[in-house]
Amino acid sequence: MTETLFKHMRDLPSSHLLGTGTPTCAGCGGLQALHQIYDVFGGKTVFVNAAGCMTLLSVYPFTPFRGSWLYTAMACAPAGAQGIRDALDILLEKGQISADEDLQTVVLTGDGAAYGMGLSATSSAIERGLDFIYLCYDNEGYGNTGQQYSEATPHAARTSTSKGPQGYPGNKKDLFSIWAAHKPRYVATVIGAEPLDLARKIEKAREMPGPRLIIALSPCPTGWDFSPDATTDIGRLAVRTGIWPLKEYENGKVVHTRIPRKRLPVEDYLKRQGRFSHLFEPVRKEALLAEIQGRVDAYWEGIEG
Amino acid sequence: MYRIRFHGRGGQGMKTASRILGTAFFLEGFEVQDAPRYGAERRGAPIFAYVRASRSPIHERGIIRHPDLVIVADDSLVPVPAAGVLAGVTGDTLLLISTTETAATWRDRLNLGDAVLTLPAPPEVEDRLELRFAGAACAGAAARLTGVISEASLEQALQEELAGLPAGVVEKNREKALEGYALMAAHEGRVKAGAKVSARAYSAPDWIDLAFEKARISAPAIHAALTSEKMPTGLWRTMRPVIDREHCKRCWWICSSSCPDGVIDIDAENHPRIDYEHCKGCLTCVTVCPSHAIRAVPEHQAVTAEETGA
Repeated sequence: MTETLFKHMRDLPSSHLLGTGTPTCAGCGGLQALHQIYDVFGGKTVFVNAAGCMTLLSVYPFTPFRGSWLYTAMACAPAGAQGIRDALDILLEKGQISADEDLQTVVLTGDGAAYGMGLSATSSAIERGLDFIYLCYDNEGYGNTGQQYSEATPHAARTSTSKGPQGYPGNKKDLFSIWAAHKPRYVATVIGAEPLDLARKIEKAREMPGPRLIIALSPCPTGWDFSPDATTDIGRLAVRTGIWPLKEYENGKVVHTRIPRKRLPVEDYLKRQGRFSHLFEPVRKEALLAEIQGRVDAYWEGIEG
Repeated sequence: MYRIRFHGRGGQGMKTASRILGTAFFLEGFEVQDAPRYGAERRGAPIFAYVRASRSPIHERGIIRHPDLVIVADDSLVPVPAAGVLAGVTGDTLLLISTTETAATWRDRLNLGDAVLTLPAPPEVEDRLELRFAGAACAGAAARLTGVISEASLEQALQEELAGLPAGVVEKNREKALEGYALMAAHEGRVKAGAKVSARAYSAPDWIDLAFEKARISAPAIHAALTSEKMPTGLWRTMRPVIDREHCKRCWWICSSSCPDGVIDIDAENHPRIDYEHCKGCLTCVTVCPSHAIRAVPEHQAVTAEETGA
């Protein structure tokens, strides 16, 4: 691996490739990550976008991208990427495009597709060794249709389909580990609130061949119920409380790129969001809070030095 | 048939207002359609919602072109072309504006005579999105203006539509709706139901016929980049971030990297610049700036300051 171009915050791009004027909500954590990622990818990309919030980006005749974009159904974006990769390879082989006209094939989906409906197609794309990048913006629910719970929804969160006093009874699926178990070239978690960590990982992924998969936790003012100006604060808290570990998988090993020196209590993160307000009001649900904190503690046991 | 159109910003409860009014009509024995217009129903963005109500089955569909009543929950939308507040207004249309200004001011400004009524808006708020109960007040006022909805039906409709919200929120909405209802007592029945439109009288819009072309030409492919920049999402903004150049440390562009929409660029001298044409006013930059050099100013004040050169 060559030395990173992103040593300091001041090495981050100061002008942006993604177009403005998109219809995402003000304060969208997914768009925050996407515009940072796009700056590092560069414009020579083709996006394969499964149905979700980000399909609103390219509503004919508008697009914020500098290159092509393909819309697929929820479950099959990696299959769409396979077709595009094959077509590019054929054009390269026939000499109809030159090597510098080649494009990076990027799957862009939300957590509904990545953690649930599209997992099977992703699994087989990794198995085939498809040369692509999978980018999941994870806002922990079906945000575009009103925040119904998905398989990425965290335990106890209120969604429009888990409104009871205990919130969502299930647990957030560990997609990082599921992807890593396929032994692809690269897997990483990122967040827009930590742009330097994000830029280094995307820079690394960009230069590799084979399947590379990224999950960006995407604080969502609309779905998580917080004021749009708090997107970055909540993202930072996700990292500092340890509920969103920043890590990467490469060559059979998982490395944590940011180990919080002194983890903040997870409720610092939870209480900023309306979707967890039932854990604090009208009475504190101590057992649920302790359960959530206990899981975060158990995760970091053995990782923290 | 009554044709009623609501205008507000995402977050001010226009969709809910249309549902409350629709349900109230229904309880009075009307056939009803109520729906928001789908599209950019985002916080701060101009929102439209429609109600049709008739004693006989409704065969009309789609958006309301010529409303009998237009309700504007946020008067800052009137001069915004994309909000289309005055679109399709006829000589028979009544306009109700929630505002801190007088009816005379709006009549003069819009040159619409006594077809303009006002609903007193809460006193000046910093951020217009705090007008969270605007929808309920407008639904209550609209119900009275029709003259065919009882206070009891309005209350029942509100309870049905807001079921599931915390009791305090429902009560506040109820209070605002009844206040709106009471304020329009002098104008009860001012809205006149429009005539049925016959399908026979329908004339096709001035479509432009496009010849059938080969797929390469006619397929919906975009051959230009960055066309999203044609969308002025700056209209969604109710609060404006303003950079104080004196205090800006020209650091390492943290505002620019953090801005979800990428609307902050850095100029040759490392000064950040905000593109107000597209800034949606999320104020992330205000919260992340380490030297607190970005402050939030109510958009309407910023616009006034700009116009007067203050």
